Amino acid sequence: MITVRTEYHSHFKEITGLPGDTFELDQPTVSELAKQLTDKYGDRMSALLIDPNTNQLNANGTMYVDSKGRRVFIEDTLEDGETIAFLVGIAGG
Amino acid sequence: MSAQPQKELVTGETWYQPGDEIPNVGMKLFALRNQCTECNVCEVACSLVHSPDGEINPQLSRVRIDHAPEKPSKVNQEGLGFVAEICHHCGNPPPCAEVCPTDAFYYDPKTLAAVIDQDNCIQCMECVPGCPFDVVFVAPSGELLKCDLCGGDPVCVKACSTRPEMLNKGKQYNRMPVLFYEEQSEFNRLSREEPVARDEVGIMQAMLEAGKISSGA
Amino acid sequence: MESNLLRVDLTTGEIKNEIIGHDVFERWVGGSGINNWIMWEHFLTHDINCDPRSPDNIFVFGVGPLAGSGAGSGVKGRITFKSPCYDMFGDSAGGGKFPYMIRFTGFEYIAITGRAPKPVYLHICNDEVSLRDASHLWGKDTKDTHAILQKELGDYPSKTHTLSIGQAGENQVGIAGVVSDALRIHARCGGGAVLGSKNLKAIAVQGDGGIKIKRPEGLMKWSDEFRQSLDKNEAVYGFKRRGTLGAVEMYQHIGSHFWRNGQGNMFRGDDITSDNWVKRFHKYSEVCSSDCFIACDAKYKIDGTESEASKEYIGESFRRPEYLTTGSAAGALDVRDWAEVAHWGKLTNDYGIDNQDLSCSISFLMELKQRDLISDDDVANLFGHSQSLEWGNMKDIERLVDDIVFQSNPFGKMFGDGPYKGALRYSEMMGQNFMKYAMYGKGGASFTEEMRPFPTWMNNMAVASRGADHLKGLGLIEKFQRRDLSQIYFGGPEAADLTIPDYKGASTAIIENQVALLNSYGVCMFHWMLDPAGYMPEKYYGEAYRSITGVEHDSDQLMRDGERICNLEKAFNSRVGMRREHDTICERWMWEPTDEGMYPGSVAADMFEPVLDEYYQWRGWDVKSGLQTRAKLEELDLGEVADVLEADGALARG
Repeated sequence: MITVRTEYHSHFKEITGLPGDTFELDQPTVSELAKQLTDKYGDRMSALLIDPNTNQLNANGTMYVDSKGRRVFIEDTLEDGETIAFLVGIAGG
Repeated sequence: MSAQPQKELVTGETWYQPGDEIPNVGMKLFALRNQCTECNVCEVACSLVHSPDGEINPQLSRVRIDHAPEKPSKVNQEGLGFVAEICHHCGNPPPCAEVCPTDAFYYDPKTLAAVIDQDNCIQCMECVPGCPFDVVFVAPSGELLKCDLCGGDPVCVKACSTRPEMLNKGKQYNRMPVLFYEEQSEFNRLSREEPVARDEVGIMQAMLEAGKISSGA
Repeated sequence: MESNLLRVDLTTGEIKNEIIGHDVFERWVGGSGINNWIMWEHFLTHDINCDPRSPDNIFVFGVGPLAGSGAGSGVKGRITFKSPCYDMFGDSAGGGKFPYMIRFTGFEYIAITGRAPKPVYLHICNDEVSLRDASHLWGKDTKDTHAILQKELGDYPSKTHTLSIGQAGENQVGIAGVVSDALRIHARCGGGAVLGSKNLKAIAVQGDGGIKIKRPEGLMKWSDEFRQSLDKNEAVYGFKRRGTLGAVEMYQHIGSHFWRNGQGNMFRGDDITSDNWVKRFHKYSEVCSSDCFIACDAKYKIDGTESEASKEYIGESFRRPEYLTTGSAAGALDVRDWAEVAHWGKLTNDYGIDNQDLSCSISFLMELKQRDLISDDDVANLFGHSQSLEWGNMKDIERLVDDIVFQSNPFGKMFGDGPYKGALRYSEMMGQNFMKYAMYGKGGASFTEEMRPFPTWMNNMAVASRGADHLKGLGLIEKFQRRDLSQIYFGGPEAADLTIPDYKGASTAIIENQVALLNSYGVCMFHWMLDPAGYMPEKYYGEAYRSITGVEHDSDQLMRDGERICNLEKAFNSRVGMRREHDTICERWMWEPTDEGMYPGSVAADMFEPVLDEYYQWRGWDVKSGLQTRAKLEELDLGEVADVLEADGALARG
């Protein structure tokens, strides 16, 4: 069992209504975190987080980084106490 | 097409004979005022699907984006906006058809929308001022253009950049889609939830009361 | 696919029509590709080293085949010319209604040469084309110009849409842009100055013709699928709501902004660092590019309740700022109020001037003052009056903008071509080297985003054919660390790893080809970021392109077409004398490590040279000189371009 913090920005914050959460994960994996997130926040979170074609984390228009600034993928493992930021991935303009 | 049709009205399998009671259109197109982004997608898509040789031209579209000045409000502070001008399929028979001297209008058997038979149309343009909503358009060639509901799957609704599919996911956007293809009752329900929509219903109501359109079946 | 090119010689007043045949589309795709070729051919008979403000320069407008054609990906017109501020290849994209409406006139490409004896505007109404007196428009900003022309020309046979220059263009300020419908600016590279030098105030179009689609069923099927895939992605809804301002929180989190002339990479001030735009400045009406399935744009109106500063701007209404409007005001100039940021956007748009080069010119002087490198006397000499040069003071900033737009004092004249040339001139005047504080990349162009932690962005800023910015090689594989895409293109995750130089130059090369394609299609870049096929326009838009044009190129061929377009832009720059040493970025980005954000301690010099080497290798160009090789050009069916380069001594030896 590990504890992971999440930070929500822009559209993620709008969906969750929160700046962040704490999750306790049985499996130290991103896929477990994604499952808990979609369970907690429902369809809109699922549509934002999961690409229905690949079952990977949605890559288009979204970005997820750990506390070292590395993007996380569904197959990655997480360490206890890690913070994952959920961001909208748009550049330029 | 008149209230008492003098001739066969519909091409296709089901033919309405003179004296038949013609049911009103079940599903209708509705456009909300001032919710339009003026993205022109509906004009592009409409002209493309109706073109026999793959031409895109807003001047051949059966839906037109127009300026829709409004009383300034908190939501719309400048009192400016756009509206998709589209046939309301308003009555049975609709006023455009009632004024037609050659009875060139007929009902599409599938959607029951009144459409123009170009072979019988003499391009007298009586139907243009005859339409209370100004939504019978004239192509540069003189051809009269009126919405035919695309046989029941209107492309403008599908393509609209505020399309219902995109916005029904939640009411959090504080706005409504511009174009609906809905039953009247469903539309009224939605419009109660969103005050902006009442404008359109209000206009329809006023037209009915003034006797300019009939309510149909 | 065939199209019409309208050639206008302003010196003689001669107007003629040329057909652009199917073979040209086979080779140059459309849009910016065809623009480039028109300009290349022009400079075979005109001196390429001419003064860009002389009648010898050419101004090309073009719009690609996917624009306004039901592909639903927005409409982007493109202007192409020799840049007056950077003296090299110049082009710039802009959306709105003008490029949409021009397709219905039948003329999708316009080439303007010469110089009119007095101010004129070009009116195109279907096939009736005329040059008309513009003396009543001269001196007006773009908003008024557009309003007058719309009133004058009316709504028949269609609404009037315009492309115009403001006072900045009239005064031939090097960084002046060209504005579409008074709302959207083709900002980069100084197209406004070129039109100003030609005495062409505006182009107004009206049309009721049609666009012919080769295979309408194919296109309709494609666009149905496209729409459905967009609707499945919740991120699209977020983008619709925020537009590019969605980037503000992400950039703040990873440290990718550009603060106080690049001294930091995060915004300051609670209001400006968050999504508050959406909460406080509700969009009330939308003003979108045509034919766009997403429609992200919006208008604001300030009612004075938003903040203390907003009381200054009660009643002001304009387009919501984009990210780089915010990046230049809230970032480079440290303006901390949304109302002032919005006002900055309106100001630069009305004058018709690029906000990137403008903000970096101003922030350069602000930093000199902050560091006490110049005295109050120096400032008074430069401006002819006292000037505070305080960070974030919008009233002062407005005066500085006026100085540049109206060229009213030594500061305005010195910095009219952006921060690089401005800093050089000022250093010379002061007898002191201030170049350390000038923020620029290739060509002396500036760009208000952090790039030191992002090797592909850094590389892109150094090699971009039109000068540094993100719209030639948007390095998203790496900035968003897309391991999945790296795997597809390079067979491993390296390109997505920010800490190593591997495949960073290669990424630039590949993305430049893709961006060249998008620009040639005539669509918006943002659908690319949100599209389901993941950043691969050659695959994704391929079917739409084939259906619309009948040019049957598969995705491999389309990538080669993109590469061909990039090579022609490169060849133009080689002809004006650019070599490897010109592919560089400014001192601060190169040598000064970042000290905040998620990637502190990043410095471009660590990876600069290996990444640049790799870029040339992937391009098939000579690594030592940076010049193109005959072999590569011939492989791309550009033997005639190699001949021209050889004659100019601008082809790699051996």
